[in-house]
Amino acid sequence: MLQYLIILLDETSTSFCHYEAPKKERKLISLDTLRQGIRFGMMENLMIQYVYPDYELPDEYKEVIESIDHSKIKPMAEDADVLVMNKIEAVQTDIPVVLRIGKQELFAHQKEVVAMLKGAPRLNVVLTDVETFTDEDFDAYKKVLAALSAEVEKLYVEGKSPQLNLLTDRMMLSQMNNCGAGDTSITLAPNGKFYVCPAFYYDDEADSIGDLEQGLDIKNKQLYKLSYAPICRHCDAWQCKRCIWLNRKTTLEVNTPSHEQCVVAHLERNASRELQHNIRKHGTFLPEHEEIKEIDYLDPFDVREDW
Amino acid sequence: MSDYTIREQSNTWQEGASKNITFIVTKDCQLACKYCYLVGKNAKERMPWSVAKEAIDYILGHEGDFREEAVIWDFIGGEPFLEIDLIDKICDYLKNEMFRRNHHWFNSYRFSFSTNGINYHEEKVQRYIEKNRNHLSIGVTIDGTELKHDLNRVYKHSERGSYKDVARNIPLWLQQFPNAATKVTISSADIPYIKESVLHLYSLGIHEVNINCVFEDVWNEGDDKLFEEQLMQLADGIIDGGYYTDYACSFFSEYLGKPLDIERENQNWCGAGKMLSIDAAGNFYPCTRFAAYSLRSKKPVIIGNIHDGIDKNKLRPFLTLDRTTQSPQECIDCEVASGCAWCQGENYDAADTNTIYQRATAICKMHKARVRANNYYWNKLYRKLELEGQREEFEKNKKKSNDVIC
Ligand code: SF4
Ligand code: SF4
Repeated sequence: MLQYLIILLDETSTSFCHYEAPKKERKLISLDTLRQGIRFGMMENLMIQYVYPDYELPDEYKEVIESIDHSKIKPMAEDADVLVMNKIEAVQTDIPVVLRIGKQELFAHQKEVVAMLKGAPRLNVVLTDVETFTDEDFDAYKKVLAALSAEVEKLYVEGKSPQLNLLTDRMMLSQMNNCGAGDTSITLAPNGKFYVCPAFYYDDEADSIGDLEQGLDIKNKQLYKLSYAPICRHCDAWQCKRCIWLNRKTTLEVNTPSHEQCVVAHLERNASRELQHNIRKHGTFLPEHEEIKEIDYLDPFDVREDW
Repeated sequence: MSDYTIREQSNTWQEGASKNITFIVTKDCQLACKYCYLVGKNAKERMPWSVAKEAIDYILGHEGDFREEAVIWDFIGGEPFLEIDLIDKICDYLKNEMFRRNHHWFNSYRFSFSTNGINYHEEKVQRYIEKNRNHLSIGVTIDGTELKHDLNRVYKHSERGSYKDVARNIPLWLQQFPNAATKVTISSADIPYIKESVLHLYSLGIHEVNINCVFEDVWNEGDDKLFEEQLMQLADGIIDGGYYTDYACSFFSEYLGKPLDIERENQNWCGAGKMLSIDAAGNFYPCTRFAAYSLRSKKPVIIGNIHDGIDKNKLRPFLTLDRTTQSPQECIDCEVASGCAWCQGENYDAADTNTIYQRATAICKMHKARVRANNYYWNKLYRKLELEGQREEFEKNKKKSNDVIC
């Protein structure tokens, strides 16, 4: 069921996820489109998430924005609910941080990532090049996750409860928690049209799923649901984003993930398993959550004969 | 063996255990059949030898990715025999290379053709057949009676019917391949000719007729009724004429028209993705129906090429596709679902989005009509066998049928 409406306030609104926001020329959504979008969200009972560009909005926009309950995803900390950062930098904040970086940056700067984790209540690391992972990268990622895990464990032992999506989300979940594009969330672009997610808008503006005038028209809507995803519905890497956009880019189908997405998510899942095990050595930890089981595959596709 | 064994369709060679690799050697054909799904046929795109060679080197060089026990090297067009020189060269190279590399397919291969039969008798084609006789399957397409055949299968420019030119080659073909089968495709205009066509093909000495309705949305109001009547007449013709002992027609199958279990019977129907097609430019497709010249309204689905190899991510949707995920609820709940076929390529072509996960159901009413006629066929046949005291004997000897759809 739809729950969220993401509104891109400007053509240059920050990316908060796997995709790049390629537009360079500032162009705000029109006030009228914004108002209509808010109205649509209210009528459909959707929680609104505004995605901001990197400049201050005019006052008349602020007023309209505040006319409904919402959250703000911003590339600067001021007045944000989620802060998006595109490089590794020192941070001290009381809001969740999304850190968008490539694999090499992560592999080279794990210590700095740990420092950022200490400076924010939650750190969401979003890898911007999942589809390029090679076997060597998988090995490197596994090592990085193990090193990060040791740091997170230390913090837990100190009585803190750091949240690092790559490692702690899986421990806290009891079912799939994917991005939900096209199923639980849709995006309104500055042109007044709806898209599965911002990435679909930037890829091809013609690829819309309706507009404010005619309403939503999501063709083959079922394919965005977990139950229609043959590989993912057999999977327990519950923290995986199951990126619909990367699915389409790599396999041509929105419901089918690439090998790379699956292996990356399983390395995280397995690292979470280790972490859960290690923290539990120090005492009771999340007793309501089952132990994450040991499995012998990194890509559910490889064991499809057993489904 | 009893006189009363009933002939059902033969199983395709090494079915299930074999990889099907198709070379689209040409997009040209002498004919312009009215139902031909190849919307982009042309005389320009012929496969160069260098492309064929590189494709073979890639495939045989990646033995680990092609673990099937056997291989069917398939040649299609257009009309494949227009490129007999190239095909001969490809086959020689394949044989040499499979031997040289000690490849596990060396003793388990077949060359397969679907031809319009027009130049079957020509010397070059005959020389090729002689050379590869023990490893060949050749299907000649003949649609039935002269009238029916010439309704669709006409020459490109003159629009003259091709029946006579094909029929004269049938005796030679059957002499060389006595168990050969023919494939017939039915669309709306062909319905009134079904019975006489199948019986005509039997009379030519063809013992196996694989016949199916096109998957495209071509059906008119009332076609299902007409279809049902034709099939009932055909059933009478086959049973009353005693053809069931020695001839097969894929329209009638005991496995047809039953509900399907959501979990146990959830396999995909078509083999797209388990096959591989290569075009003249060296692109790989999950099946020929995904190449540009076969598609009406969608972009081709290219899963790699001879230089960069196969992009395995693009195969994942095909290899995990199951029946229920692509079917509307109506098909999942259908009481007569078994045997209702689909073509992944047509599903993709007809879908509302660029997906192979939306089953096209244009064929629904035709399938239901087929099921009713099929029930009639088996009830009539079993009663006859019982009255003649041959039912038990038949039950003992019957073979599993094999639906052939593409
Ligand atoms: S589909 Fe979801 S996970 Fe992927 S880029 Fe869009 S919002 Fe992010
Ligand atoms: S790991 Fe793979 S199968 Fe599991 S949810 Fe993610 S994309 Fe789907």
